[in-house]
Amino acid sequence: MMHIIKKNKFLLLLGIVALLLPLFVHSKFHLNTLILLLLFATIAGAWNILGGYGGQLSLGHTIFFGLGAYTSSLLYLNYGTSPWIGLIAAAAISIAAGIFIGWPTFRLKGPYFTLATIAFAEVIRLLCLYWRDLTKGSMGINIRFEPGLSNLIFREYSSYYYFALVLFLISLAIVYWVDRTRVGYYLKAIREDEDSAETLGINVTKYKMIAMVISAGLTGVAGVLYAQFMLFFEPESVFNLNFSIEIALIAIVGGMGTVYGPLLGAAIIVPLNEILRSSFPALSGMNYFIYGIVLVLIVSFMPNGLMPVLKRIPKKFKSRKKVQVSGSRKKTAS
Amino acid sequence: MIIQVKEVAKQFGGLRAVNNVSFDVNSKEILGIIGPNGAGKTTLFNLISGSLPVTSGTVTFNGEDITSQKPFVICKKGIGRTYQVVKPFGGITVLENVMVGAFNKASSTKEAREYALEILKKVGLDKKKDQIGNSLTIADKKRLEVAKALATQPKLLLLDEVMAGLNPSEVKEMLPIIRGLRESGITIIIIEHIMEVIMSVCDRIVVIHHGEKIAEGTPKEIANNEEVIKAYFGEEVSHA
Repeated sequence: MMHIIKKNKFLLLLGIVALLLPLFVHSKFHLNTLILLLLFATIAGAWNILGGYGGQLSLGHTIFFGLGAYTSSLLYLNYGTSPWIGLIAAAAISIAAGIFIGWPTFRLKGPYFTLATIAFAEVIRLLCLYWRDLTKGSMGINIRFEPGLSNLIFREYSSYYYFALVLFLISLAIVYWVDRTRVGYYLKAIREDEDSAETLGINVTKYKMIAMVISAGLTGVAGVLYAQFMLFFEPESVFNLNFSIEIALIAIVGGMGTVYGPLLGAAIIVPLNEILRSSFPALSGMNYFIYGIVLVLIVSFMPNGLMPVLKRIPKKFKSRKKVQVSGSRKKTAS
Repeated sequence: MIIQVKEVAKQFGGLRAVNNVSFDVNSKEILGIIGPNGAGKTTLFNLISGSLPVTSGTVTFNGEDITSQKPFVICKKGIGRTYQVVKPFGGITVLENVMVGAFNKASSTKEAREYALEILKKVGLDKKKDQIGNSLTIADKKRLEVAKALATQPKLLLLDEVMAGLNPSEVKEMLPIIRGLRESGITIIIIEHIMEVIMSVCDRIVVIHHGEKIAEGTPKEIANNEEVIKAYFGEEVSHA
């Protein structure tokens, strides 16, 4: 235990800051950004298990996110089921959808999985728009503001913040576990070369499915948090293709197949998005313009994401120090 | 007898790539498979390892019918293989590459790491364990192929041209590794074009030409076999 703490001093510090943050940040705008940051870090982390480790690029992760939001909310509104139970139901429905998509597409090689996720997300979006009896269509779902722990609705933003933090830490722990065990190694092997992976004894379809189940379940749970936080959502907001792409981008910018990459990506993209959106009220579209430029720069200069680059910095620093020390020694010797 | 290949055939559309080939391999034997380019040697490996389903015939391993099973099932039963066109996991380290194979039998990450390190030492890649797969030279990539397959702890190892493209001194380094494997109790089937290797390392040789087995015997018998010479050099031109 001690050596883990020692090794990750920076992370420990970050964790303490994260715990104490709501004591100092009172502005609703800032807390809102922080909650979204954690939410996106959680979803991108879930995406990362399937996309970053397993190489199965999903561009329809909103499927699970939206299904999670709708499942718990409809249960809550129609049957008064507590969103706590809704969390489990949401995870179950999302996992079922994940298996449904993975079953046929994981057996294929090439871009079929990615295409299927896009298509499936669109179909679900349209289904939710037209199945008005169940989903209220584009009128959206409106949850009445009745604060209470059993309703998972809070008066204070800081409560939502802690809820999001706990969820994020759970997702981080899962990714950490994946990274260090057979599942992670097998997923990376599948990402690199499926044929070779299979001849090394890996049941490729099974491990893709394991990644899918974890990823879909976590994303579904994140959808519940979103619903309980926003208290209003509609098909266009939770099944949006742009949203799916943003999830993937956060993981790509941060560093695919790394434990902390998605958090780093979210810490850059989410505030950037919020700041840009509020800085150019007159020039509509300006935020997308700058956002696009930043993304192009990151992806073209750091194709593996920021995390691998950051990891190299302390090493470089150390080796430079060594060179300086040996250099000065030479001088004294002469 | 550890493996028995019986009248195995593979049809690709109008082409019969492997045509009713049969042979047995005894435990701890090294069997060489040779033949001109395009003879169907690699296809034969693909049929044994399950990468391709057979059109007809059977493969029996340790008394169990394993014909057309999935590759990962066959690997679990104890057959490892390397690819002629090397397939390293390019984006992860050499150690991680071999650990993936080691997880076939290892129950924990620690165990997999320790076993992988042992294997890396055996093939002489231990100093490069932290390099990324793609950064290796072709000789080291071939070694990595062998290491990955070995890490699955196979009883039978299929080596597909692990020495093609290596220079003579690299070949000399590889030979003792292969002999060492047999001493550790592994049966080997090896496809190779370098005759020096085949002649010095194999107990028996099977020759394949146009998908058919044309000869089988000890290296000495094969070297003097007329059919084999014909297959490699063509028939003598008759002057009328």
